[in-house]
This record gives sequence, C-alpha cells and structure tokens, in this order.
Amino acid sequence: MPFQHSIFRLVIVFFAVVVNGVGANPSDTRHWAYQTLTNPSVPSSTSPDQVNPIDAFIGVRLKKAGLYPSPPADRPTLLRRISFDLIGLPPAPQELAAFSADTAPNAYERAVERLLASPRHGERWGRHWMDVAHFAETHGNDQDRVRTGAWPYRDYLVRAFNVGTSYSRFIQEQTAGDILFPSDPQATVALGFLAAGPWDESSLRDIREDTLDRQIARYLDRDDMLGTVMSVFNSTTVQCARCHDHKFDPISQQDYYALQAVFAGVDRAHRAYDEDPLIHLRRQELLLQRRRLQRSDTNLLSSPKTGREVAAWWSANQQTSIQWTTLIPTQSTSMAGTTLVPQKDGSLLATGALPERDTYTLSFPAPDFPVTALQLELLTDASLPKQGPGRQKENGNLHLSEVQVFLSDPTSSQRVRLDLVNPTADFNQEGWTISHAIDGNEKSAWGIDPQEGKPHRAYFELKTSLPTKQGSLFTVVLQQNHGGGHLIGRFRISCTDVRTPVRILPPEITGLISQPLGQVGSESWNQVARFVLKEQISKALSALPPPSQVYAAASEFEPDGSLQPSLRARPIHVLTRGEITRPGQEAAPGSLSCIPELQPRFQSSQGNEESARRADLARWLTHRDNPLTWRSIVNRVWLLHFGRGLVETPNDFGRMGGTPSHPELLDWLAVWFRDKAQGDLKQLHRLLTTSATYRQQTGPVQAVALSHDPENRLFSHMNRTRLDAECLHDAMMQASGRLDLRMGGSSDKQFDLKPGIHVTPRLDYSKFDIDSFGGQRRSVYRFLFRTLPDPFMDALDCPAGDQLLPSRNNSITVQQALSLWNSAFVTRQAEHLARRLSRENSAEEHQIQQAFEWVFSRAASPQECQEFLQHSRRHGLANTCRLLFNANEFIFVN
Amino acid sequence: MLGSRPQSYPPFLLSQPSRREFLARLGGGLGSTALAQLLASDHPPIKGSDGSVTAHHPPKAKRVIQLFMNGGASQMDLFDYKPALFKQAGQRFDPGQGLRVEAPTSAPGTVLKPPFELRQHGQSGRWVSNLLPRLAEQVDDLAFLMAMQSRTNVHGPGSYLMNTGFLLPGFPSFGTWVNYALGSECDNLPGFIVLPDAKGLPYNQKGNFSSGFLPVSHQGTLIQAGSTSPIHDLRAHPSAEYITPEADHDGLDLLHRFNRQHAQQHPDDSRLEARIQSYELAARMQLSAPEAFSLQGESTVTQRLYGLDNTVTEDFGRRCLLARRLIERGVRFVQVWSGTGGPTGNWDNHSNIQKELPPMCASIDQPIAGLLLDLKARGLLQDTLVLWNTEFGRMPFAQSSEGRDHNGGSFVGWMTGAGVKPGVSYGESDEWGWKAARDITTTYDFHATVLHLLGLNHERLTFRHNGSNRRLTDVHGSVIYPLLA
Repeated sequence: MPFQHSIFRLVIVFFAVVVNGVGANPSDTRHWAYQTLTNPSVPSSTSPDQVNPIDAFIGVRLKKAGLYPSPPADRPTLLRRISFDLIGLPPAPQELAAFSADTAPNAYERAVERLLASPRHGERWGRHWMDVAHFAETHGNDQDRVRTGAWPYRDYLVRAFNVGTSYSRFIQEQTAGDILFPSDPQATVALGFLAAGPWDESSLRDIREDTLDRQIARYLDRDDMLGTVMSVFNSTTVQCARCHDHKFDPISQQDYYALQAVFAGVDRAHRAYDEDPLIHLRRQELLLQRRRLQRSDTNLLSSPKTGREVAAWWSANQQTSIQWTTLIPTQSTSMAGTTLVPQKDGSLLATGALPERDTYTLSFPAPDFPVTALQLELLTDASLPKQGPGRQKENGNLHLSEVQVFLSDPTSSQRVRLDLVNPTADFNQEGWTISHAIDGNEKSAWGIDPQEGKPHRAYFELKTSLPTKQGSLFTVVLQQNHGGGHLIGRFRISCTDVRTPVRILPPEITGLISQPLGQVGSESWNQVARFVLKEQISKALSALPPPSQVYAAASEFEPDGSLQPSLRARPIHVLTRGEITRPGQEAAPGSLSCIPELQPRFQSSQGNEESARRADLARWLTHRDNPLTWRSIVNRVWLLHFGRGLVETPNDFGRMGGTPSHPELLDWLAVWFRDKAQGDLKQLHRLLTTSATYRQQTGPVQAVALSHDPENRLFSHMNRTRLDAECLHDAMMQASGRLDLRMGGSSDKQFDLKPGIHVTPRLDYSKFDIDSFGGQRRSVYRFLFRTLPDPFMDALDCPAGDQLLPSRNNSITVQQALSLWNSAFVTRQAEHLARRLSRENSAEEHQIQQAFEWVFSRAASPQECQEFLQHSRRHGLANTCRLLFNANEFIFVN
Repeated sequence: MLGSRPQSYPPFLLSQPSRREFLARLGGGLGSTALAQLLASDHPPIKGSDGSVTAHHPPKAKRVIQLFMNGGASQMDLFDYKPALFKQAGQRFDPGQGLRVEAPTSAPGTVLKPPFELRQHGQSGRWVSNLLPRLAEQVDDLAFLMAMQSRTNVHGPGSYLMNTGFLLPGFPSFGTWVNYALGSECDNLPGFIVLPDAKGLPYNQKGNFSSGFLPVSHQGTLIQAGSTSPIHDLRAHPSAEYITPEADHDGLDLLHRFNRQHAQQHPDDSRLEARIQSYELAARMQLSAPEAFSLQGESTVTQRLYGLDNTVTEDFGRRCLLARRLIERGVRFVQVWSGTGGPTGNWDNHSNIQKELPPMCASIDQPIAGLLLDLKARGLLQDTLVLWNTEFGRMPFAQSSEGRDHNGGSFVGWMTGAGVKPGVSYGESDEWGWKAARDITTTYDFHATVLHLLGLNHERLTFRHNGSNRRLTDVHGSVIYPLLA
C-alpha cells in the first residue's frame, strides 16, 4: 500500500510539474519562485456552481484529473468552519439558528462580513502571526528572563489585523517602522517582530565583551533576525548560505552577509515608545540626537543652532564662580572602625581597618553665614587602591548610600535634620547617580566607576537655608552600606552661601569656559558643545512623561550589563565557512541577488544610521516586482483556510521546498492581492472563504480522489482540520460560559511565579487558579514562557516560540489524550458547562440538547440524547460534558 | 492518588488488536501518518519490508541511559590528571606561542592545581579523583573520551549543543531523534523519559529535551521521581471530585462508542481512528505507569546499592534505579540529571572547587557505581548503553582564587555497555587540560558514535524543516571507532 501510495503521489507531482510547467510562465526558465509574476487569465467558468475565479482555476485542474468538486457543506458545518477560521471561536447557538433560518441568497457572505468585522478576528490571525514570528515572552536559553514589554507587539498584531493594515505597510512597520513611520508609535511597537525569537542573555549580556563567544552570539542573533524576515516575508531559506553558497538556491554567501549587515546596528532590548504620537516623535528625535552626539556627529556639532546655543551657555556659565568655605571637622567618627586622619588641606584620609560597610559622622562648627549648599569633594591619594578616591580593593570605587545633615542648636540638646535637594555630581556611574545618595533608600547609592583615579565632587542644596546661631553644630553623616569595601578613601566638605541655584561642572569644562569663547580651539569648543548638548537632551528627555517599553529590535536603549547599544552598524565580515575566526571581506548591506528586477545591494544605506539599512530592506521586500513577497502571503493565508498550501512549504519556496499545485492560481492570487486588493488581507479572506472551493464538504471523498489524489492537492473536497490549542481552549471557555472578551494589555500569567535561584524564575502551572481573573481571557493573551510552556497547550502542539513555525503540527498523541481527559483545565470547564446547562434548562433532555449545540454546533439525535442522558443520570452532567470535550466531533472541524 | 483506582480495563481495551496488528489492518490509507505518529513510529526514516522499524545497520545497543552533569564538570579535578597544574600552581597561565587566553565570565587567574588527589586505578590505569572512590573501582569497564570539545563556553548554548546538536533553541533533542528513528519498544510508557534533579530543572529547562520540529510524541517526558503523580495528567485532576473511577471507566467506554460512530460517518480519515487509539494507549499507560515508577518491589539490598539509604545519594540514586526499571520495560532513552540551573547546586563551580565539587561527587558516586553493577548483574549492559556527560569542562587557571571558569576547549565524558570497548580511553588534552590536543571528540562525533551503536547512520537520519534536511549532527561528525568493541 505505501508503495502504491507514493507512486500516485509522484503522478500528481509530475502532473503539476509537466502539464502546467514549473511556474506559471513556461518561457521563464528560472526556478518558479523567482520568476516574474504573471497575470494568468481566469479560465472560463465550466459550471454554474463556480462562484469566483478561484473555483475556475481549481475546476480546470479537477476536470483534467477526472475529478469533480464536492457539493457545499450544510449550513451548521459551514458556519462552524468559517467561525473557527476567521475568529477562532465556534458560533453561538443563536448565531447558528439565525444563519440556518436566513434564506437570503447572500446569507453566507453576510456571515463572513460579520466575522471579518469582529474584534475576535484580529485575535485569531494575530496568534497565527505570533507562530510565524516565533513570539514568546521570555528569552529562552539558560537565563530565561521575562520580557515585560513583549506584549505590546501582540496587541499591535491584533490591532493590525483588525484595522486591516495593508500588507506592504505591515511588512514595512515590522522591519523598519521606527524610521519609515516616525510619527506612528505603533510602527515602532511593530519592531517586536524582529526581536520576537529567543535571545542568549548569557552570551550577549553577561560574558566578557572581548570573547569569541560574544562575537559568535552576535552573528547568531542577527542570523535569527534575518532568517525570520526572509522566511516569513519571502519564503526563502537564506540561512543555508551562512557557511557556503546555498546548495540548491541561487543565494550566495555574499547575499547572506549583506543581510547580516542590514541588522548590524540593532540588538534586542526594551525600547521606549509613547502612546501619544507627538511625545513619541519628540522622544525619538531626542534619542536620535543623543546617538548622533555620542557619535560626535560633526553635522550636529557644527550646526548654526548648536553654535548659538553653546555661545549663550558659555557666557552664562563663565561668570558663575562659587566661593566654597572648607569645613574643618572638630570631631570625626567611623562606625565600623576605619581611622579617619585629618590632612593639611582640611580633608580626611581613611586608613587602617577596611570594613565591608561603614558610616562616617563628622561635626563642624556652623559658619557665621547662612549656608545654602554643601559640597563633598572626593580626593585621590597615593595610599588608596588605584589612587582612590574610594577604598574598594580592586578598582578604587566607592558607594555613598545616603548623606544626612543635622543642625544642633546650642541652647537645646535637639538636633534638626536638614533636607537636601538638587543633588549634582561631576560624574555619575551608570545606574549609580548622585540622587541615590539622598533618596532615603539605603540600597541605592552614588558611585564613580569607571572614573576612578581622579577627584570628584558632589553638591547638595539645603532646602531652606538656615541663618545659624553662634555655637551651633553641623553634623554630616555619610552612610556607605553597599558592602565589599566600597568606602570613601579621602574627602573634604565645604559650604557656601551663594543664593541662586548653582551647579557643578566637571573640572575640565570649568577650565575650558574660563577662557574667552573666541580664543579656544575647535577641539575644546567641541568638548564644551558635547557637554551642553548632552545636558540639554537629558533635560528635555526627563521633562517628558515616562515612556512605555516594547521589547523590540533597537539601536537605542538603556544599557544593561555589557549589553550596550552600538552607535554605528557593527562591521560585518563574510565568514569563511561561517567560522568566526576566519573573517573575509567586509559586507555591505543588501539582500538577494537572484531577482533581476531588484537592486541586490543597498547603496543608500552605508551612512551612519543603521535604520536606513532596514528601511532599504523594507522597501526591497515590499517592491511590487518582488515576486516572492506576494506569492508568499497568498499561500500562507490559503494554507490557513484550506489546511494545505498551494505550496506545501510556506517558509521555503526554494528548490528543496514544495512545488505549487496550481501555479496559475498562485500567480493570479498574488497579482490580484497586490493590485486589486491593494494588499488588504480582509479582501483576501473574503475571496478565499466565499469561493465554492472553500464551501465544499469534507466528505465523502470520491473514490478517484482517494486513489489518485490522496493528499487532496487538487481540492476536490475540503480538508478536515484538527482544532489547534487556542481554538480548543477558547471553544471550551465559550461553551462553559466563562470566556472573558477583554482585549489587550499585559499577558495573563497562568502559573505561580517565584524567583529562581538565578535569573530564570520558578514556575508552577499546577498552582494556578483556573477560575481566577487571569484565567478567563482568550488564550492569545496567555503569557508565553519559552523554556517551560504550559503543559496543556504544549500537548496540543502550541509552539514554544523557539523555531519559526510555518504551520502547526496538530498531532495526535497519548499525552494529548491524557491532557484532554484529565487536566484541571478541561475537567473544570466541563463542570462549568454542566452548571450552565442546569441553570438554563430544567429538563434533562434539554440540557443534553443544548450541550450538543454549544459543543458540536448541531442538534443531538434521539438516540444520542438517550445515551448521554443515561450517562448523566449515572455520573452527573459534568462527566458527560467532559466526554463531549474529548469527542472527535469537537476536536475536528469539518 | 496513584493506585487508589480500580485496576481494570475498560471494555473496549479487552479485545483490542496489538499496535502492530492495528497498523497492519489500517494499511497506508489517508492520514495514516497520524496514526503512525501516535504509535511513535511516524514514517520512520528506516523501515523494514514488513513496515516494522529496523536500523541502518545491526545495532549493538537498544537503549540508552544518559547521566548528565549539569554545569560543566571539572575534567582536571576528576579524570584528566595534569602534572603541570601541580608544578605551575600559582604562576601566570601562559600556554606559549602568543596564544590568547580568555575566560567567559572572568579575567584569567593563575594556574590552579586540583585540590584533590588523583590516582590510577584498575588494569587500565585510568586516573580518577579520590572524590569518586566507587566509580574508580569500575574504570576497567568504562571507555573515556579524554578530549571532548564544545563550540561555546556558555551554559545555554553549551547545553543545547550537547543535547540537540545546535547552539540555538528549538532543535530536537538527542533522545527525541533516537525515538523518532527507532520507535518505542513499549506501548504503555513514553519512549524518552527525563528524570531531573529534585532541586529543579537544568539550564534551558525543558528546552534540552524538546522535540523541536520532530513529532511532539517523541519529546522527553518529564518525570518527577519523588512525586506522587510522576506523569502529568495521568489521572483526573484531584480538583475534579465529580470524576469517580466508575465515571472514568464508563465515560471512556461511551466516548469510544461515540467516536467510533463519528469515524464511521467520516471514513477515509485515519486521524479519527488514531485519536480513538490514543485514548486506549492512555488507558494502558494509566495501568502500567504506577508499577513502573514504584520502587516498592526493589529489595533493600538493591535500594542500598543505589544509595537510597543515605540522604546524600538518595535523590540521584532513586533516579538511577528508576532508569534501570524504565529501560527494563522498554523505554528507549532515559536521561538522569545531576544539578539544577543557576549558580549553585550543580557542577558549575566558579567560586571554590574545593568546597563545591565534593558534595556533587558524593551525590552521584555510589548511585552510578550501583547502577553499573546492577545493570551488569542483570545482563542489561549487553544491550544498554550508559553515558556520562556534561556540557563543557573547566579552566586550568583560577577564577578569583579558588574557582574555575567554563571551558569548552576540553572536557571528559565516558561511556560503557553495549558495543563499547571496556577500559580504553580516546584523545588527549594539552598539558594543562586547557584545549583538546589529540584525537578530539566534538559533540557531533559523540552523537554520531552513540547513533552508530544504536544502528543508525547519523548522516542518513534526517528530517526536512524550513528548507533544510536537519540532522542531530548538523553537517559534522565522525564515528569514534577506537571506542567500539
């Protein structure tokens, strides 16, 4: 049997290849997928049952094979099919009744319209796209960290499918939305697509920057991005060309590394966006300016605007000169046993024991002027590690957790705490800014790494300047609670009575601006300009409301460990045999060379801004002459409606992939979708689902089809599909009356989550309360944890998001039977359904009838009713409901 | 909960054909792959003329127990004796020739000598640390891979590489490939079982035993050895109090009849039949699993042999004993993990080798020795392969002052049992155990060798996915023949 079977399959393939040519255009000798799109004429209709051109194309091939189309399915079957296909939920009984009673000739078309307009449609097709993009909400790998900002991309998808974003724009947004549509915040969120896959945190954040492991991880990370883009949008497997030219397809190693170069400036990270388009635009401009500044972009520094601003700032700050009066302590103590030795310059030097933590307390006679501000100078000393100013053994750093100042009144023994405000410092360690020294949180602190080995200054204003009485005492308390010997090594305290708010400038800037503006050289001028612009940008940024965060491809993000944004696209080399140790020539950004209508290399994007490279790729992908793009999407949508693609390998149109069963139809659809439908996916759904081909019944299968086309590549009947994990989950929830249709927002964590011993948290799905608020929404809103997926959904083939998934497996396994029969989720929903049935019907027969309608979308036969009634009487209605949820009739869609 | 329900077959199970008969009855027909997949022999790449599964060549081994030391077990402190480390202790590590020395998470420190004694054992004279005294007694049965090599120094990619042959997530695991190729030997237990450390899952969690793009029926089934419900959803959830044993029994029976009727109305689709069968197989698993996972039938002597009488060895010992019981019952591939993910409680000894390594060794030494003795005594080693592995080794120089950083450059593994030449070693690292130097075993070579022993040609065991014919060994790998008996 299997032998015969494969012979027939061969015949069919042969038929597809020889009779119809490899592609739709016999004179084009290239592999079919790269051929220019043809616009075949629609075959003349051979039957009045044909509704649209799809049926004509399908009909011709059926006729040639001696087959007939199958009659349309009955109405309940059709409505169940189209409902699951378009919204992922079964029809409600009242919808079914209305549709069955609707005698208008366009009743079916109206049902399709209703479903396409439902917000549930975006949820269903958004989930399909999450498979395609291998989306999940943790990193995967050994450090499986939660991505708190992954969900906005899921919401973007739901919205895009609901509003009907054109396919061109959809591609462009997900590849380069930040640069192509800067005033649309959602176009930045769309870049979640590029970051949807797994990420190796250990290699890309934690290990040392100077290792080969880091380099390899970067190439692999970009490999995932470019592989995703090319597989999803162009059904092309470029990754085969990483080590050598593609063995089967016209893709060179140069093409592959050109694509690497497109993504050479982005990492995966949480990036800022704003729901308000104006704020979004403003923030993105500021961030871009900051990048340009960090790059010392000469256009920015030499612009007239910068010139004017710097000049104004120069003269305003030149005059600022503050007289600081050094305070000599009359008493200095250390809580943990450090010896503080007074120095000639009024400073104190820490010597002797080096405790983990310490608190220094210093007392001074209050000066005879109203003190408005205090200055803490950290000084270097030859006795300190790396010259200090801290005592940390390895680097001379320090962490100042809290500064407190008290004033003691001589006439009473009371002392008053003085509030400090507006802290500034000449340098702040990343994440350890001076504001931490007065935030009341002992765990946060000010630090100066990596600028050890030089003096630093911090300055605090007193909230209210105090006229002081003769004999009163200032007490300054310096808490250093971080541990690890992060203690101050040498320091001095001074004060001033200056009135206006003043600020500390780094000594080098103070030095520079003490000279007249006209007399400094260009390098000095640039140094001041960089300082001024940096300050302006930070100020403008901090004036904006806090941004939202999306986990996306980003060249601009907050540094995290050694994960730092790259200021320029990183150099990409063609790696000989794909080996990191054998870099060849540097690669310029580009894409495939095998489509003559399109430029293979992007000349325009060799500038500094990496986003220009992605914009070029986005334009390349959405070019009307890119035949792969248009064939790819119509095939993908076809597959999801018909259960089988016109090409069976939706991610691989290469020579080793499938051959189109209906090349003319594929091209006709691609051209129609591009030109007539203008890339509107809803029009494509409408065309496909209203065809007579789609409306056929699944069986009985004609004998000739069974023997000659057992895989139904010619579509002589509709394919029966097994419901996927989400449809099963949601359909049970709808039947049980527990489905909550709230949309969007952060994902529902349907597990107990505890901190793990390292990065990866501990998860326990069994501890989740199914009936809780977080357990009632559609499954598209479940939190997706990569290395520990939900066992119930896993058993039903819901992907973990590790690999691109062109179509679900929809397997049948023992574990799946166990899950459906025994899991807490199914058994609980069965109980809810039983309660709902009892609530709404007093008669037992009616309960069974209604259960059939909700679960199978049909009425029960008298015999079935009798049999299930008996079961309910013996074991209770919930046991019957459990059984219905396990029935093949529920699991499969005809 | 286990065993509290009546152990009777639902009526439909009593007159069922065997799975082979069933397959034969069904023939090729539409959707037969669904059924074949259910029966864990999804269009197997290699099939005999009668449709049964055969190998590429006659196999030496039928099943595998893999003992996986999670974190990177230190080769020079356990097996790879390097006098240079003692001589040069405290000196700057300089391999000469201007070679660059880097470590993934730290700045390279000075040469660190093993703080333990290594001695030669047995006829073969294998060096073994005094941390593994019981195992040392059996070195003459083991074949050592002394110069294994990884492509990475990082846990996530390293664990994926050893478990799936790729640095990235999403590829089918070793056990999945073996089951996919050879199918299951039993109807009532999963073919690939994973026994994680009681403290938690390893790095990459379930990623290490996922089925990737191979059929999900071949994925590693996680068994919590100490738990009262080791197999997920084997019984109705306790919260569902309405499900009595009788309701379960009658329900399965009615479901069977209802599904059968549905299948008759929709002929020519064997997936419908496959789902009916899946419930029958599930019912069989319900009956047989409790017995398989219970250690009650094991004698006190046996339990002691595996170290179940000692809290130090109890967890790993229980899982080693379970592994033996499972392969006896036809499970194809059992993976027993030592150590969990994270910075401690595993073989990832960054901060202090002297303090961190001994407790790990103590927890596995007696159980592994017991397992080997037991398998030998029962004649199981003749067709069972036992593997001892880790994802990479450790550095010859210090991290801080007393720990060791990751080292993919060289590490040690061993194998024993079916088809393996006893008492041999293959490969040699450089004078410090820093890099593999001679007769290197890549992870691909290792996988190719194990597949070879199972009768499988690693270049012919392929699966088409997203445009590539994927293999466990990617595009690499050679069988290490000197290790084979």
